Amino acid sequence: MRLRITHQTRYDYQPAVETAQHLAYLQPVSNPYQQLLSHTLSISPTPAQMSQTLDVFGNPRCFFSLQTPHTVLDVVARSVVTTRNRALPPSSIGWEQTRALFEYRSNGYFDSANEFVFASPFVPREAAFAAYASASFSPGRGLLAAATDLMQRIHRDLRYDSQSTQINTPARVALAQRRGVCQDFAHIMLACLRSMGVAARYVSGYVLTEPAPGSVKLTGSDASHAWVAVYAPDLPPGQRWCDFDPTNSRCGWHSPGEDYVTLASGRDFADVSPMRGVIHGGASHTLFVAVTVEQVADDTAPDLDARAALRDQTQSQTQTQN
Amino acid sequence: MVGALAYSALVKDAIHSPDPAGFPGRPDWHALTKACAAGAGHFDELRASATPGRPSASAGTTSANRAEPPLTPAWQKFFDGLSTPGEPDLDRRWLGLQRQIRDNGVSYNVYADEGGPQRPWSLDLFPLLIEPESWLQIEAGILQRVRLLEKIMADVYGPQRLLERRLLPPALVQGHPGYLRPMHGVAPVGGTHLHITAFDLARGPDGNWWVESQRCQAPSGFGYLLENRLAISAQFGQAFQTLRVQRLAGTYRALMDSLRRMSPAGAQSHLALLTPGPYNETYFEHAYLARYLGLTLVEGCDLTVRDQHLYLKTLKGLVPVHGLIKRVDDEYLDPLELRADSTLGVPGLLQAIRAGHVLVANAPGSAFLESPALLAFLPALCRHLLGEELRLPALSTWWCGERSAMHEALPRLRQCAIKSTYPASLVHAGFEAVMGLSLPASELQDWQRRIESQCEEHTVQAYVPLSQMPTWRPGHDAGAGQLLARSVMLRVFVVSDGEQSWRVLPGGLARITGAQANSASMQRGGSSADVWALTDSEIETTTLLQPTLTPALLAQRKRLVTSRAAENLFWLGRYSERTENAIRLARLTLECLQGEDQSTPALLDWLGKMAVVNTLVLPSVPTPAQERRAFERALVASLASTEGATSVGYHLRALKMTASSVRERLSQEHWRVIVRAEEDLFSRCAGLADDASYSTLAALQILKNTSEQMAALTGAQTDHMTRDDGWRLLSIGRHIERLGFLANSLLSGFQTSSVHTAGGFEAMMALFDSTITFHAQYQQSRDLAALIDLLVLDRDNPRSLAWVAQTLRGRLAKLAGSAPDELSALSLRVPDAAAWSLAQLCEAQPAGISADRTAVREAGYFYALTDLLLQCTAAAFNVSNEISATYFTHATASNQSVGT
Repeated sequence: MRLRITHQTRYDYQPAVETAQHLAYLQPVSNPYQQLLSHTLSISPTPAQMSQTLDVFGNPRCFFSLQTPHTVLDVVARSVVTTRNRALPPSSIGWEQTRALFEYRSNGYFDSANEFVFASPFVPREAAFAAYASASFSPGRGLLAAATDLMQRIHRDLRYDSQSTQINTPARVALAQRRGVCQDFAHIMLACLRSMGVAARYVSGYVLTEPAPGSVKLTGSDASHAWVAVYAPDLPPGQRWCDFDPTNSRCGWHSPGEDYVTLASGRDFADVSPMRGVIHGGASHTLFVAVTVEQVADDTAPDLDARAALRDQTQSQTQTQN
Repeated sequence: MVGALAYSALVKDAIHSPDPAGFPGRPDWHALTKACAAGAGHFDELRASATPGRPSASAGTTSANRAEPPLTPAWQKFFDGLSTPGEPDLDRRWLGLQRQIRDNGVSYNVYADEGGPQRPWSLDLFPLLIEPESWLQIEAGILQRVRLLEKIMADVYGPQRLLERRLLPPALVQGHPGYLRPMHGVAPVGGTHLHITAFDLARGPDGNWWVESQRCQAPSGFGYLLENRLAISAQFGQAFQTLRVQRLAGTYRALMDSLRRMSPAGAQSHLALLTPGPYNETYFEHAYLARYLGLTLVEGCDLTVRDQHLYLKTLKGLVPVHGLIKRVDDEYLDPLELRADSTLGVPGLLQAIRAGHVLVANAPGSAFLESPALLAFLPALCRHLLGEELRLPALSTWWCGERSAMHEALPRLRQCAIKSTYPASLVHAGFEAVMGLSLPASELQDWQRRIESQCEEHTVQAYVPLSQMPTWRPGHDAGAGQLLARSVMLRVFVVSDGEQSWRVLPGGLARITGAQANSASMQRGGSSADVWALTDSEIETTTLLQPTLTPALLAQRKRLVTSRAAENLFWLGRYSERTENAIRLARLTLECLQGEDQSTPALLDWLGKMAVVNTLVLPSVPTPAQERRAFERALVASLASTEGATSVGYHLRALKMTASSVRERLSQEHWRVIVRAEEDLFSRCAGLADDASYSTLAALQILKNTSEQMAALTGAQTDHMTRDDGWRLLSIGRHIERLGFLANSLLSGFQTSSVHTAGGFEAMMALFDSTITFHAQYQQSRDLAALIDLLVLDRDNPRSLAWVAQTLRGRLAKLAGSAPDELSALSLRVPDAAAWSLAQLCEAQPAGISADRTAVREAGYFYALTDLLLQCTAAAFNVSNEISATYFTHATASNQSVGT
């Protein structure tokens, strides 16, 4: 599927910000399962300095800094990717075997995915998660079967509620109140998996949404999305990550589906948040985020300018996560 | 074995028993040391042998009636070096030491916050003596360990082969919050990660030294130990000379020289010390080190990153910084990539480091090396990386994340310490180490269950009874002074002296346990001691007191006034002046209230208004005309209050807080005067009696003393500070405050007609500190024209408005950025005293309006003067605001993190 993404982030500051430094994870990864056809990042005002590098996980990231006073920062990322649909692969490994593999023994097995077993700032390993997960992780069960069951239970048990949590809400709180947004769903599932000794990572990206029947899809009404990927050590090297989206109860190999776009993956949200920054000055700010994901014909020129679409925007939203 | 109670009885016996040296009533060190033996099972530093028996949990016990082995030759020599050995002499030295520590303001913030107590640094009288052969063994072992740790760090931030080979568990690297992913793949500037590292050593009963832990991030003690050395070597000068004690200065110099060489700008590199600020518990040490090593002391907000280069914000603009010694924890270094909630770091710093534009000591990301669990893996790592066996062993350590190790460790819990593998952080709860010995059986079982369920979080380490050294407990009412044996841990520092090259600081910080026998923590009431590493070879005699200053560096230091320091100095000036003003006004008021006959209603009116305007009393307090005694009591009561009325004590405290933020710029005398003045005022006021008439007299005495201390402070500011822009701002702060205060006082004196009375006239002279000058010039006359001449126009009187305005103009004209010999816009804001004339100021009305001048003057309508005084108060206000806007804005606006 060919998908075009326009992701606008806009800050209005009051009073003006004097200097600012930002870090953006807005360029989709390019790999054998997702091809990045084009990508542009427009920043206004023009940054004094900008650099593009890969982080330790191999995600593209962009640093930029502004050294003159500004009251508005407008960042627009435009990307076109092609995606593929692949069902979960056959994997026979049991979840206990996976856990045993990651237990340290001086003569044991080493796998670089080991680091995704540990707790991270947004993903604690606590008894509450292990207790919730245990219903899915019955003795002898296959890893992917257990993960699928866990995903379905989270989807069923938790209510999607965009008002219920903030960016910094701990997964523990979201689990206790049984509600949250996609980021909370992902963190809860990760905490369950890691509490059981399974390696799992956080994936940030987008999903194509269909308008309600009978209505026209509104530009900017989409949002950035997040889900998780589970590491199955018995699959061929380089093809071991299986994606699970507890928000929508969808899963697949390397991606939950061809309507998903992967931006970056890390231990949790903190490693790959789309934009973070430190500003100097600007006592208060308002944030506006608009994301549009649309399917385009396979022969569409990849460099189509999405600016027109944004200009026509009739609906604005503050940040949402679905 | 005897308990603590029996022990003190024993000591008493020893003291009252006939003295072996034959001086009855004046025991010498034979008697003193005889009673001081290490507890059972501990190694006795005095005698280089273990006291027989099993150790118990409490400190300071000793075995009874045992024939003690003789003192070691070093300790004998040490005590022989005392000219008049015995308790009175040691008591005297102990008192001298306490005084020196207090005077130097060596402190340790126990709770590291604004209101928390600043405890004086605790230092014991005796040094820990380390014999040459013992020291050589430590030195070789530590050097090997730092080489090993450096190689581990290089691998972890590079190819990670140690993880692949299972020599290092991923849980101790990627699972450790100190492993910084943004630093992966970054080769450190200068080719070395670890520049300042510390190792904590314990000496076991067999006299061997064991490594207990290592500090690789930003070890503390590196400055305190210098202060310890200066203080203790001064107390025991002769012993210090005869014992061949290794000197420390050469090592500090080697570190600084090599850091500079390795930094991007080479010998010209500008190095700074990054501190979390004055509320950090070891801030004293940061300021001390910065001054000693010739570094600029900076906080995160003093620095900024532009285009991947690091700069210091100064009064004269941005100045490049090429090297940082950091005392801020790694995770707070850069809010852009690490903890977003950090206000201690510099956004963009990691980019500058990755670009190779700044050397940071130590390279960020070394905290994972501090985990006690790592010790379990070092023997194999040493064989693999260096092809050697470890020379200095560590206490046996089991990381419970490895199942086989956990099974080995669990049966030994009772004889071991249980430690947290990870420090407390966002990811790990962490916990305080516990000693198996101190736990009841039921709790020990709880711990076992905890370990089994969260095995990776727990590390078990063998316990060794710490060696014990003599400490001095001074004599007091209940008894004579005594030597007590206390458990000690040794912190040894190792510094880089070139690329991949290190040297051990020949000395260290001895940490002496408090109540708990085996935890040497300064936070928990422990104490410290100097460490004398003895040698048989030559003593390196680089002088300790002269920091390495080249002319270039001198010029650099002179030039640099950070915006934050500038602001603090400005406020230091304002609070100094404000304190003096409050003292003078309070004294004057109390004196006037005492002398009944002179106090006319007009004078009382003026004093009452002045007290309210200058916040010596709250407006709700009855005026002196209404209830003289109530007013007086309120004035006295608020002298040392820190809420409600803001009087002398409040200003003094603010003065001290401001000064503590620029400690490194103030002379020792300057700081000492501030600390003493504040302490004295609060302690003396606390002792004021309730009886009003008596307490007023006492309060006057207190104010007189404080006033004298303030005179010393002014002296320190005038005579001991370099005339750079920092000092200029201090002086500007003082003169702005003085201009506003004097103008306001005079205005109020005319408005209340107080100056028209004899008492009020004299009081005004006193408030302007001009009584003597006036009477010398004008004898007994009380002519207002004379008053105006002396207090407003006389440009030779440092208390006249003309003098203050003129000085303020001059200082402003010289401030950073102003063209030489040209008055800046800022200085033009201050009224020009050259334009003032006596005739005009004595005019009753604006020129051109005729009236009976004498009559108007008598009634007090001095239009021109009133106008001028209003101009002066407005100028004080406006100039202060403009200075803030021009010079301090980037020091005050804070960074904030944003994210989506």
